Amino acid sequence: MTRIRCYWGWVAAAIAFRILLICFPKNLNLGSRPEVATPLTSLRRLAEGYWLKQASMSPYAGSMYHGSPLLLSILGPFTITRSEGQPAYFYCSLMFVIVDFVTAMLIRATGQKLMLKCHQSLQFLNLSKLVEASGNVEAGNFASLVFLWNPLTIVTCVGSTTAPIDNLMAVLAIYGACSCLAPLAAFGWVIATHLSLYPAILIVPLILLLGHGPDAPPLKLFQQKNNSASGSSPSSHSHTKSTQTGIQIDYFSWRPVLHFLLWASIWSCYVLVLSSISLKGLGGLLEMFKKTHGFILTVVDLSPNIGVLWYFFAEVFDFFRNFFLIVFNMNILFMLLPLAIRLKHRPCFLAFVYLAISSMLKSYPSVGDSALYLGLLGLFANELAGMQFSFFLFCGYIGVSLLSPVMHNLWIWRGTGNANFYFATGIAYACLQTVLIVESVSTMLKYDRMLRKHITT
Amino acid sequence: MALEEEQKPKGGVARSRLIVRLGAFLVSHNVFVSVVCCIAGIIALLLLPVLAKNTYISENALMPGSANPAFSAQDVMEANRFVKDLIDRRTIEGTGIEIPRLIGQHMAGVGAEVYYHKFWPHKNQFHPLHFFSCAPNTVTMQSNSSCASVGVNSIGIIRAPRGDGKEAIVLVTPYNPWKIELSEALSLGLAFSIFSLLGQVSWLAKDIVWLAADSQFGEYTSVSAWLKDYHSPVFFSESGKMNVDMCYEYNSHQDWDRITVNWANANAFKRAGTMAAALVLKVLEKKERQERDSLTIYAEASNGQMPNLDLINIVHYLAVHRQGLRVKIATIGSLLNSVWLRSIGEIVQRLCRFAKSLDPRWKYDITSADYVEGSATLASSMYYQAIGVPTGSHGAFRDYQVDAVTLELSPWFSLKNENSQSAFLLRGGRLIEGVIRSVNNLLEKFHQSFFLYFLTAPNKFVSVGVYMIAFALLIAPLPIVAVAPFSGKNKIRLSTDKGNQRPGNTCTDEIEITIGSWKWLHAAKVVFMIHLWAVIVLLLPYFISQIPYISPTTSMLVWVAVAISALLIVYLILGSPYSSDCEWALLKSIMIAAAFIGLGLMSIINFSTAQIGALIVVPMCLMVRPLKRHKEVALCTRVMLMACNLVLAVMGSPPAALLILKGLSEGFGRVGIGDFWVWAEFLWIWNSATYLYLFLVHLPCWALYVHILLHP
Repeated sequence: MTRIRCYWGWVAAAIAFRILLICFPKNLNLGSRPEVATPLTSLRRLAEGYWLKQASMSPYAGSMYHGSPLLLSILGPFTITRSEGQPAYFYCSLMFVIVDFVTAMLIRATGQKLMLKCHQSLQFLNLSKLVEASGNVEAGNFASLVFLWNPLTIVTCVGSTTAPIDNLMAVLAIYGACSCLAPLAAFGWVIATHLSLYPAILIVPLILLLGHGPDAPPLKLFQQKNNSASGSSPSSHSHTKSTQTGIQIDYFSWRPVLHFLLWASIWSCYVLVLSSISLKGLGGLLEMFKKTHGFILTVVDLSPNIGVLWYFFAEVFDFFRNFFLIVFNMNILFMLLPLAIRLKHRPCFLAFVYLAISSMLKSYPSVGDSALYLGLLGLFANELAGMQFSFFLFCGYIGVSLLSPVMHNLWIWRGTGNANFYFATGIAYACLQTVLIVESVSTMLKYDRMLRKHITT
Repeated sequence: MALEEEQKPKGGVARSRLIVRLGAFLVSHNVFVSVVCCIAGIIALLLLPVLAKNTYISENALMPGSANPAFSAQDVMEANRFVKDLIDRRTIEGTGIEIPRLIGQHMAGVGAEVYYHKFWPHKNQFHPLHFFSCAPNTVTMQSNSSCASVGVNSIGIIRAPRGDGKEAIVLVTPYNPWKIELSEALSLGLAFSIFSLLGQVSWLAKDIVWLAADSQFGEYTSVSAWLKDYHSPVFFSESGKMNVDMCYEYNSHQDWDRITVNWANANAFKRAGTMAAALVLKVLEKKERQERDSLTIYAEASNGQMPNLDLINIVHYLAVHRQGLRVKIATIGSLLNSVWLRSIGEIVQRLCRFAKSLDPRWKYDITSADYVEGSATLASSMYYQAIGVPTGSHGAFRDYQVDAVTLELSPWFSLKNENSQSAFLLRGGRLIEGVIRSVNNLLEKFHQSFFLYFLTAPNKFVSVGVYMIAFALLIAPLPIVAVAPFSGKNKIRLSTDKGNQRPGNTCTDEIEITIGSWKWLHAAKVVFMIHLWAVIVLLLPYFISQIPYISPTTSMLVWVAVAISALLIVYLILGSPYSSDCEWALLKSIMIAAAFIGLGLMSIINFSTAQIGALIVVPMCLMVRPLKRHKEVALCTRVMLMACNLVLAVMGSPPAALLILKGLSEGFGRVGIGDFWVWAEFLWIWNSATYLYLFLVHLPCWALYVHILLHP
């Protein structure tokens, strides 16, 4: 097993690098980049909303702020505290650095859980030689370092957006489900949904995680194994129970799932109560839903971003608008079920695929979403080692992330380009994400097939 | 794509996707494809003058020449009187104040609003993060600048009787108030006569701003300072502005009083809406005799940006068809007489005739002389765009998305002859009036015609759709060669190489593949470190230029020394640069991928730089091979490859290339090491993206090239 040398040194360096960068916000001016800050996550809008709220107005007045009222209460005070010689939003940025660190640690813990489960199941299947031969990496450490050193994560963290908090909540939900902590998972899921709506689809992988436990080879393999070697090996699974006859079947345990659902309803009530207290006399919950989740679903803001919806809805005729809104929003939901059926034995990977799909199809995407799913991608480094087009994807991500600011400059500042220039990079980015999803899923399926081949031969 | 083929038996190949199979086919013939593409790219580049189309005015609202010019002999007389006034003041002491005052008086005399704009010469500094920000830095005033160096622009604004004050047309005449020359006085006189005419006309729908720019610190400086203040209001609470005023009063208190008494508010900055277009007027006396008055158009702004082609079109149309001027644009003179270009011209002419005999509808009719002239113009157009430095004060306007050109009028006789001077002024005045009248008709910003083009003659252009083909053909081999090591046959060769090195390796096929598909990460690390080094080299001049009293040669030596030591440190961090897990083929493919991304990006930022850079970088990328690996091929090929590689290695390094080019053009005696420093300084002072390209794309590519050449 290849170990990562001086892991903590790298983590410390990543944090130091972020702190160094947040001292120069004026020079970088990342907060004004459309790729980094969306109308939902921009901290400048949050400051505006906080100011409105302090002036006893609804924070949603004037279509500036579209985030949660809870964030307003937590982050708002930091946006105005400013001491001498420090850049604006210094405290917020420091907080985001901490949030990034916590996210990385949660990814690491999740990775360790996944590794443990993977080793157990491979040992159970007598395939441990495979583990040693393939130059295994510690998935947790690797993924957390990928997350911390990903330029997109750094840009999101430094660019004064609230996206790191959204990411933390999504990771928290996955971690909670992986370690079978139903309240924690429910908390992460509820808050993530409350903040950015799209993580709501994570409920499928979360339930699978709580029911089945973390990723494992397909169930059929265990059955085959048991049939051939009638249960001689000792079982060490956390959630599977070996019965007296030695036939091992992965039961779907409903208890943690019910726990999760119960807790989720408790947390959502709690969040709603807190929000209504926070917005008391300033508009109320209905306006909040209209201005946050409604804003996300109806794609009101057509300012350019790296997604593809803004261009489409700027072009579409008004009377088709509702129809296409339904089509685009259903688009994400259509993919949930088939993927869930095919990948039900690997719920964590399923969560990664869901996040990648939603970041491709969501209405206001930013690089923060890519930061999240690319970080999670590191968790499956061992399984995806044989991925095709890795070099192409790597170059593509670099190319698109450099091309996007240049095209934006050409369009907005120089005036020699036009909206199509910038939209072209958006399409290229969407294509890259599609290739990434297709390749990673097919590689994962190929890996499962390889396991079966090893067992049968 | 190769993995799939490898995993399946031969029958399974047919099952892979069509696009993957097509890609694999191209990759398997990569040598042939790259040779064909490169040659096609160079031929397409040489054919650009043939493919140039005639310009046409695409904005209908412009309607050039639809009205008869009102500029008459009376206006010419007025201009002459003004010129005489200016020339008379030349002998008086303190013209630096006197002439702006005189201009201001005349402006006010025709009923314009007048004010003076005082500025300090903008101190150019190296700032690596400001290459693409067009919003200028507001804090440019250096508090320690000396008070003596203040320039004064005089500005007059005519409010349009039919306008709403939201749009304006700008007329710029640069002159040096301390040493005014006859040609400058003439350009001021011309501008004044047009200005006074426009003060009377009733058709004006856009305000006219006449900026008499003080060019004692350079033409560009004064205009850009004025534009900056025009677009970013400075409030009086800000210290910098106050400083100028105080400083000026301190310096020449009495002179200044005389102006401010005449017009109250003469120092308040006035504005006139967004600028539709700007014309920079210059009169230049040419040494050589010519049969007609001529007009030279300069259009290149910073980083290869061009004004909308329509602006050049109306100027050209009015100048040629109404005023009978001879319109020229800059050419590279040495190319006009070059033998090889003429012989290419002959071939092209014959080919065109042949093509026409095949199908008379193909209108590629070009004579050899036309081809040579077109190429020389295209080359100069490309050269100025590639350097990324504006060719005149019109460049300052482009930073604010205002289309602007410099019109340089030159008479065919001596300027001192008064009779023909009047005729010259009449022609010039009618031309400018016509252009202003056309622009005045505009309903929207210039947007109909091209922004991305090259001129091969004043009335011929090559649009982006055509010249991109040449570039795309040239860089098309890069991605194909980059993925070659990952494809079928080469893949097997790679793994057998590895097997030879470590015979005890008994992994299964699949595990071999799983490692193999990520093996490029090691090479990527090397490439990343080299790019990091390039960033350090890029930023070094900032620190070196802080050292006071240092000559260019010393700066250059320090720069090179620090760069090389930084490279050594990078190698120390990397461990052995040629460790066994970093194969040269993979390194080459990553280097090519990086160069491809860099060239692609640069082609969007500044096409000319990318095109010229690609001519060097693409052969470098395609030819590179460790010198010790040449033993496999035949002797003569080996010698040829070696020679090519060595030539490329020398010519590819930026300083050597510059010094050799300079030596060839000016003689080697005058070339020093410091020249490169001077040149680099010139580039970063003008915020040229070429500087970035040179150090972020070209330099790492060259360093990796040498690295691979020396690979054991």
